[in-house]
Amino acid sequence: MTTSNKKNPYRGMFLTWLVLTIAGVIVSIYAPSRLMPRSMSDNMHLTVLTMIVFSVAAAPVAAGIYAFAIHALRHWTHKGEAVPAAGPVVRENAVVVTTWLLVSTLLTVFLLIWGLGALAVDNGSSSKNPLVVDVTGQQWVWSFSYPGTHVQSNELYLPVGREVEFRVTSDDITHGFWIANMGVQVDANAGTWTTIHTTPNQLGTFDIRCTQFCGLNHAFMVTQGHVVTAQQFTTWLDSQPQRA
Amino acid sequence: MTTTLEHTTTDAAPLGGGLARRQNMATALVGGVLFAWLFWFLAHHFLDASSRNYSDLVSVSLTIGWIIGFWLGIGALNAPARWMMGRDNTHADDMYLAGQNQGKARYWKYCTDHKVVGVQYIIMTMVLLGAGGILAMAIRTELIVPGNHFVDQQVYNGFIAVHGLLMILALIVAVAGPWGNFVVPIMCGARDMAFPRLNALSLWTLVGAAGLLLTTLAVGSLSMGWVVLEPIANQAGVGMDFFAMAVVVFTVSTTVAGVNTICTVLTMRTKGMTLARLPIFVWGAIIAAALGLYAFPYFALVEAQTIMDRTFNTSFFVASGGGTGWLQANLFWLMGHPEVYVILLPAVAALFEIASVMARKPVFSYRTAIAGMTGLAGLSILVWAHHMFTTGWAPTLGGPFMLTTELISIPTGLFFLVLIGTLWRGNIWMKLPTIWMFGFIANFIIAGVTGIYLSDIPIDNQLHGTMFVTAHFHYVFVGSVLFGAVAALAFWYPKVTGRFLNEFQGRIAFWLAFIGVQVTFLSMFLSGLRGMPRRYSSYALIFEHTNFITTVGAYMIMAGMLVLLGAVITSWNKGEPAGPNPWHANSLEWMVPTPPPLENFTVLPVITEDPYNYGEELVRS
Repeated sequence: MTTSNKKNPYRGMFLTWLVLTIAGVIVSIYAPSRLMPRSMSDNMHLTVLTMIVFSVAAAPVAAGIYAFAIHALRHWTHKGEAVPAAGPVVRENAVVVTTWLLVSTLLTVFLLIWGLGALAVDNGSSSKNPLVVDVTGQQWVWSFSYPGTHVQSNELYLPVGREVEFRVTSDDITHGFWIANMGVQVDANAGTWTTIHTTPNQLGTFDIRCTQFCGLNHAFMVTQGHVVTAQQFTTWLDSQPQRA
Repeated sequence: MTTTLEHTTTDAAPLGGGLARRQNMATALVGGVLFAWLFWFLAHHFLDASSRNYSDLVSVSLTIGWIIGFWLGIGALNAPARWMMGRDNTHADDMYLAGQNQGKARYWKYCTDHKVVGVQYIIMTMVLLGAGGILAMAIRTELIVPGNHFVDQQVYNGFIAVHGLLMILALIVAVAGPWGNFVVPIMCGARDMAFPRLNALSLWTLVGAAGLLLTTLAVGSLSMGWVVLEPIANQAGVGMDFFAMAVVVFTVSTTVAGVNTICTVLTMRTKGMTLARLPIFVWGAIIAAALGLYAFPYFALVEAQTIMDRTFNTSFFVASGGGTGWLQANLFWLMGHPEVYVILLPAVAALFEIASVMARKPVFSYRTAIAGMTGLAGLSILVWAHHMFTTGWAPTLGGPFMLTTELISIPTGLFFLVLIGTLWRGNIWMKLPTIWMFGFIANFIIAGVTGIYLSDIPIDNQLHGTMFVTAHFHYVFVGSVLFGAVAALAFWYPKVTGRFLNEFQGRIAFWLAFIGVQVTFLSMFLSGLRGMPRRYSSYALIFEHTNFITTVGAYMIMAGMLVLLGAVITSWNKGEPAGPNPWHANSLEWMVPTPPPLENFTVLPVITEDPYNYGEELVRS
């Protein structure tokens, strides 16, 4: 099949790619923060940013595949029942293969460097004096205690702006501790502790859901958390019944 | 090189009687049930009923009885037993086993003809996909509105486990089973597989495993997901024992099939069929088989350990006895990630074949295709811990596993290069296989890009364990592998039946499935992004709309699959006749008559070039 454009048969494909890439980049920039839960911590901010960067990087690649598919379907298909004549014989093309490998490797290296950097920030503990919260999962409730205070609660209270270290464990089987607004998730394993850090930076209420299948009421293993001011947090701690 | 002579019948007279010649699937089921009862009876009466593992021990005994009885009933042990007694099979016996002069009855028997086994695999794949699909519909119906309405929560939890395993088993065999058996030996120029009896064994062992797996639904209490999460699996009821034994039996089947495929390709190629002249699908089949030989022993091991924890009080995975669920997760994903590529590679390789034939061009950069598949297989054994980023196991290994995981995108990119290069400026023949191939291309890029997000630990810390992951791997398995499998089915269907798969029905099925996949899984991505965890039987109101859309899309996929099933059944005897080489392709399976006679070739062909010489001077006759 011949293409309609006499000058450059691939101009249409390029334009399709350009339009799709621009559309993809716009969606990549605007969508993540609107589709994901409201960011309430530094981790979540980093997660959304990484989503945007990866989406922008992926947009031209995906657009290329779709531009090719659209072009092939428009210009390179054979209609009718008769057997098509043979296409051009191209068995090898060293330049194309090398370029393809080079570009995909560079993209991968970029993603990797960004990812490792983000991971270092994500794992880093900036504060020498984080608030420690012990999180315990059991079928099918969460409980939170604050070491040094004898306070135990089924709802989580956190002061804004102070780094938190969650020490997570389980009384029975494995659960998954996840704050969707803060981008922190770690399993609660019986007999051992796992830790995860975050710094809440927005006041408000959030849900804590179990992300590791834990049996009958897995879907209902939900509780609420609250980010409050340091003042309110102290007041709340003092108002709780003290457990020995 | 075309073989025109029908295979001459040497034993025209019907073969004599004897119990061994009356065995079929019915006797296998009877044997299985009888032995299961016998083992249950013995275990029930002779084991210590006061042991807290009593019910598990009885269940495991029963399942062992089932598979032994099933093997005896189908006749899997006849030939080895006769050999042991010094009364080896005669040539007539072997021809009988190969299904000579038995018409349709051979499809229900322990038949050694690789083409019969291929057709049996087609049927098995459809049965498994159908059962898994019904469970998927039950799951989506339960999730159509918030709250628990249609399915009991405990039953629902069992459904997600059995749906998962059924679909995984179905897709492991979906391309490699039918076409690895039906066309690979002919593509190599062989009269059959290297070990025809093992071929039948692999198929019937799969049937036995599927029987066990479907039984688990009746036994119930399967709160552990298809990955058999520990230590919760240790709490599960006796259904867990059936489930784990089904996996162990299944790994026997895949191991036998994998060894057979590799040996066939390495030793049974005809004269002149060098490795560099092999059709690319053969490469895909053996690379996937080799990867399976690495991966599936872990599967058997981890389920065997689960069973031992439950029956003999070992504590591999139970924290109170010094074990850890992390060990289970490691062993499981050492299998679980390579298994994705055991599933994917045959489908991709079949699409390379289809792209070349339909675009009337050689496979672009054949060696890059092999390098990509080999590279992917190699990398896939080094990435398992990305399934464990949020488990808390070895956080310091996060960086290295992120590296290996992201490297996966390089060989995956080569698949796109080979497909695009092959189709580039071709005369693309828009038939059913081609249409499903384009569906694969459109879906596989979404599967790939969303995989990149999940390989990144900061993002994974947000999205792991959510519906985003579920949507991602359904784009891989439904959007990509299933589309590739249907393309392969439409492509080789005329070779099996002599008739085309109905084009019109196939296109309706395509559009229903293609739009259905986008509706179902794009909305599922949204559920995950908004914060809905996986394996939920109910959900909060904020996930209401996206879940409703997902369920509507799932019904569309099911409707598409039903149309496809109708097309497969009605076209089998009534489709448009196709002749021996409907696509005017060059590989050997199209050079033999349709349907290929027993032992395929009257005279073995001699090969002088690869099968991709479209547009080059030499055209085969």
